Amino acid sequence: MNRPVDVAVIGAGPTGLFAAFYAGMRGLSVALVDALPEPGGQISALYPEKIIRDVAGFPAVKGRDLVGALVEQARSADPEMLLGRQATDLDDLPGGRFRLGFADGGCVEAGAVVVTGGIGTFTPRALPCGEEFLGRGLSYFVPDPAELAGRRVLVVGGGDSAFDWADALQHTAQVTVVHRRDTFRAHRHTVDQVLAGPAVVRTAAVVERLRGDHRVRAAALRDTTTDEIVEIECDHVVAALGFVANPGPLLRWGLDVTDRKIVVDPAMRTSRPGVFAAGDVCTYPGRVPLIAVGFGEAATAVNHAAVRLDPTASTFPGHSTDAAAQPVALSA
Amino acid sequence: MTFVVTDACVDVLDRSCLEECPVDCIYEGDRKMYVNPVECIDCGACEQACPTAAAVADRAIAGTAAAWNTVDNAAFFDVVLPGRDTPLGTPGGATHLGPVGTDTAAVAALPPR
Ligand SMILES: Cc1cc2nc3c(=O)[nH]c(=O)nc-3n(C[C@H](O)[C@H](O)[C@H](O)COP(=O)(O)OP(=O)(O)OC[C@H]3O[C@@H](n4cnc5c(N)ncnc54)[C@H](O)[C@@H]3O)c2cc1C
Repeated sequence: MNRPVDVAVIGAGPTGLFAAFYAGMRGLSVALVDALPEPGGQISALYPEKIIRDVAGFPAVKGRDLVGALVEQARSADPEMLLGRQATDLDDLPGGRFRLGFADGGCVEAGAVVVTGGIGTFTPRALPCGEEFLGRGLSYFVPDPAELAGRRVLVVGGGDSAFDWADALQHTAQVTVVHRRDTFRAHRHTVDQVLAGPAVVRTAAVVERLRGDHRVRAAALRDTTTDEIVEIECDHVVAALGFVANPGPLLRWGLDVTDRKIVVDPAMRTSRPGVFAAGDVCTYPGRVPLIAVGFGEAATAVNHAAVRLDPTASTFPGHSTDAAAQPVALSA
Repeated sequence: MTFVVTDACVDVLDRSCLEECPVDCIYEGDRKMYVNPVECIDCGACEQACPTAAAVADRAIAGTAAAWNTVDNAAFFDVVLPGRDTPLGTPGGATHLGPVGTDTAAVAALPPR
């Protein structure tokens, strides 16, 4: 159990990072939770090297630099950074407070919640078949290459993780790479290492089904041009098909949802008192999914959360340029 | 504002886009793929993955002869497809839904390629 806070912000994308800063500006204690090990949301996960040109005040800023600046700004709030923690449960506590539970069993208690979960959490893309063997010879990662030494390992995919694992395993295990296409997205260098090494690479082939008993024994591969099926024996299958984002648990918290987005009112309140939402996870008529839009919503959400926590407080925060706010800004 | 799979995909169905989409919002019909406009986050990964240049931004085809594809992609999810009782709506992921096995009326009527 982490120290109780005034506000729990769920999602450390651009919206959540700014919400955390804003909570600090309102004098609130804040926990910032994200399932990913790094902050930055979509920017960090999908386009850290792209130049962003439509964030106010930045004529052009590289994705990772914007995230860096947001993290620095959020630091003034001294947030409890709970990274690598997926929020799964939101339970009511007496006195209108909340208990936010994590997938790993941990939790944090908060007086108000701001959901900034964007497009959701990233999970490995499932293999279209054989899901029942998960943990019984089918995995999405290679937790410990030593465990697979001497085994027949099928690596499915043509991207960086598929080839990194194939390369890491090919001298200790019997590796076969299966990829649907004959071109690879992985880095040229790793692909060359694997093609030149002992691993067998089968292109234009897909895994049609997995066969086994208490664990995987064989995979049926279909040639995508001839539709011919061959079965190859294997001890382990690594499905390295990339990651997919899904709002998952956020939509199961009893909040009003439409088209898989959380419905908010103009004060960014959800249908559950004390729970606010901002950024790409929320919706209202006419919403545009942009970073700049999320920033404004984060400020609105936190200012209203502040009033919920202390009904005598004003929704208007005062100006950050006010004398009282200056030392905070300078020490940030 | 979303990406769209145009009729350039018909009878090609390469499916590379499906593997690249970070929100798994590209669904497989019988003869082509369709982007769910509600689930699409407009990232453009499908455009780079598509070997037949069938995945394009809706704004890139607006006002051209290909613009009907934008309406047609949406229709795949909004209208009741042959053999189904309800519209697909927002299934929240193509992988767990699997191939839908049918097309919109407009696509089904296209000549074989
Ligand atoms: C390729 C690409 C280019 C783009 N270019 C631009 C651009 O030029 N300008 C622009 O304004 N916008 C752009 N966007 C859109 C912009 O990235 C999004 O609008 C923005 O990231 C939304 O921010 P967010 O914080 O609301 O959500 P996200 O960035 O989606 O962050 C949400 C965070 O919440 C976390 N999370 C979700 N659920 C949970 C949970 N249950 N527990 C713990 N953590 C959770 C996720 O791990 C994630 O880190 C682009 C998007 C893409 C994909």
